[in-house]
Amino acid sequence: MTRVGIDALTYYLPAYAPTLAELEARGALRGPASTLAGFGFERARVAESESHVDMAMHTVRTLLAETDTSPEEIDLVLYAGALTSSSTMECAPAPAGSVLQLRDFMDFFKYPVSQLQSELDLVNASVAGIDQQGCAAIFSSVRLARATLVAEPDVRTVLCVSADRLPHGASREVVYNLVSDGACAMLVRREPKRNRIVATHQVTKGAFWDSGSLENEIIAAYFPTARNVIGDTLRKAGVTLDDIRWVIPHNVSLRSWEILLGLIGCPREKLFSANIGRVGHTIAADNFINLRDATDAGLLRPGDLLLLFTFGYGLNWSCMVLEH
Amino acid sequence: MASRPASERRTILVTGGTGTLGAELVARLAGGSHASVVALTRDAARPRPGTLPPDVQMVTGDLRCGSAFGLDPSDAATLRARVTDIVHCAADTTFNRPLAEARATNVAGTQGVLAFAKECRHLQRMACFSTVYVAGRTTGCFAEQDVGGADGFVNSYEQSKAEMEAVVRDAMRELPIALYRLSTIIGDSRTGEVTGPNAIHHALRLLYQGLAPMVPGRETGLVDLIPVDFAADASHYLFAHEFSAGATYHLCAGASASATLGALLDATMTAFERYRPAWRKRSIARPAIVELETYELFVRSVEEAGNQVLLQATRAVQAFAYQLAYPKVFENRHAGVVLAPAGIAAPNVLEYYDRVVRWCVEKNWGTAS
Repeated sequence: MTRVGIDALTYYLPAYAPTLAELEARGALRGPASTLAGFGFERARVAESESHVDMAMHTVRTLLAETDTSPEEIDLVLYAGALTSSSTMECAPAPAGSVLQLRDFMDFFKYPVSQLQSELDLVNASVAGIDQQGCAAIFSSVRLARATLVAEPDVRTVLCVSADRLPHGASREVVYNLVSDGACAMLVRREPKRNRIVATHQVTKGAFWDSGSLENEIIAAYFPTARNVIGDTLRKAGVTLDDIRWVIPHNVSLRSWEILLGLIGCPREKLFSANIGRVGHTIAADNFINLRDATDAGLLRPGDLLLLFTFGYGLNWSCMVLEH
Repeated sequence: MASRPASERRTILVTGGTGTLGAELVARLAGGSHASVVALTRDAARPRPGTLPPDVQMVTGDLRCGSAFGLDPSDAATLRARVTDIVHCAADTTFNRPLAEARATNVAGTQGVLAFAKECRHLQRMACFSTVYVAGRTTGCFAEQDVGGADGFVNSYEQSKAEMEAVVRDAMRELPIALYRLSTIIGDSRTGEVTGPNAIHHALRLLYQGLAPMVPGRETGLVDLIPVDFAADASHYLFAHEFSAGATYHLCAGASASATLGALLDATMTAFERYRPAWRKRSIARPAIVELETYELFVRSVEEAGNQVLLQATRAVQAFAYQLAYPKVFENRHAGVVLAPAGIAAPNVLEYYDRVVRWCVEKNWGTAS
């Protein structure tokens, strides 16, 4: 089996980081800040001037610079977006009551990934958008990158990128989670120096597509299905939870992670939770922000097995095991 | 107590005579003897159960009104003079009632029945119904001679019934009383019909609706459930044919006729899919079986979030589900010895459980005609 992995990754977070109290004062929370604080959140990251495309550009530039990668080396770009708005350009400020404004139907054909390819001179790269999976989109892009690298010998480097920003004025609280803006990018290659992809697994339950009206059912569905998906991923990887050194989470509430850890029988100490409070849930970049920070903090040793799990509307549960 | 000549007709007073078990028992008592049966019911407006024979007399009274049940004094006196047998089925079986309210029916109400019984000069036998869940938080084997509650209780129902038992045991010194502890009744094993939905059925409905993400317990923990026809057959036989004053019997499934929590959840999901094929499209996962600590954390989170729908759902499950976190087996040796010669035994729950779930689904938990 061809060894494929995440050879390098980086992320971008907006500088503006309002506290829960500040967000509550601005009317940006659905419920009291104290509830979110009790669930482990402290502050969000909010993009004030930068668009989702700006964040994607910045992240990819940083990644190429950090890894001394020439733009010509990128063979394929997989651009993941959790929000529908992330797959279009922001063509005009959205009027009050709207979350996206398109001036002309031709605006539908203005794709962020094409602009990114052009502006960053990724001249050898073909591109594709990965969306309609909520926060699980970036996991799908990694999965598809791996599949492409296994299937197509001429593809050597796949750039996976994800960037999402909530519309201005939108509530920062979604189902008892504090939502941040942010972006991540990674290079997926054969024979990686680190983060070999051991197994990936995804379950989609389209019955819950109407996320707005099924909030309670979605909360209830989350836990047992998450447990099943994690179990199935471990089986695919041929390992057990005991073999996992770190759980690299999506930054939904710490409370929900404590419950899920209880469901799967995983010690709390294995959860890399440092970013949940200070970063919040960045929609589609959490796990890879956390992977980078855990790496930079020196917590990961070569050979460590890592469990990454995320959940996206749609509904989608995604999980992967990496060997650092 | 003065005995009557055998030729005189017996009169059996049944409290809770229109309830799930009471109605079944009244039908057997009336049909299997030459006794007159008087069914005491609290709710005068409640329709007469179809299973009640026409000669069963219905009397409206309330146990919480003292030893005369709120009857006209002369009617109460007449009843006392007639009654030879009492079957005390009435109970408040709501699991999460405030303790004072549960006690009002289950303890004070029973005290009223016992006071009534002491004034029945022809009384020959009396049965009081309790629950095997007086065991409370006890784990392991719970036998018929055991007195529960040493480790506390999961809900007010259990506690009030344990307190009721103490009152009954005290009265056994003066009255010919047998105590029948029932397991959880889930329906009729022959038809699946549920005449009295309880916490189990509420939980099944929440599971059907996809609002039950987890239950506390262990995959291999046994869940003791019985059908109403077994409960009625067994208690009728013990009372009418093998009455033994001072005895306590467990009318339960026991280890051999119980199923594991995991098997019951699997059977539930299978039945939902079989009897409502469209339900499969909803992609509802089988609830996770979790440690009590994890379940309590989830409940606390729902409370903190103030989500009213999930709050109601978790509270509905909570009242009985906590019992699953205290695995135990109810031993029913004494009952088995007496009932076996009559061929009465609880069927294995998996033999009829599918019919109960089917009834719930097809009758929309009793709301569909």
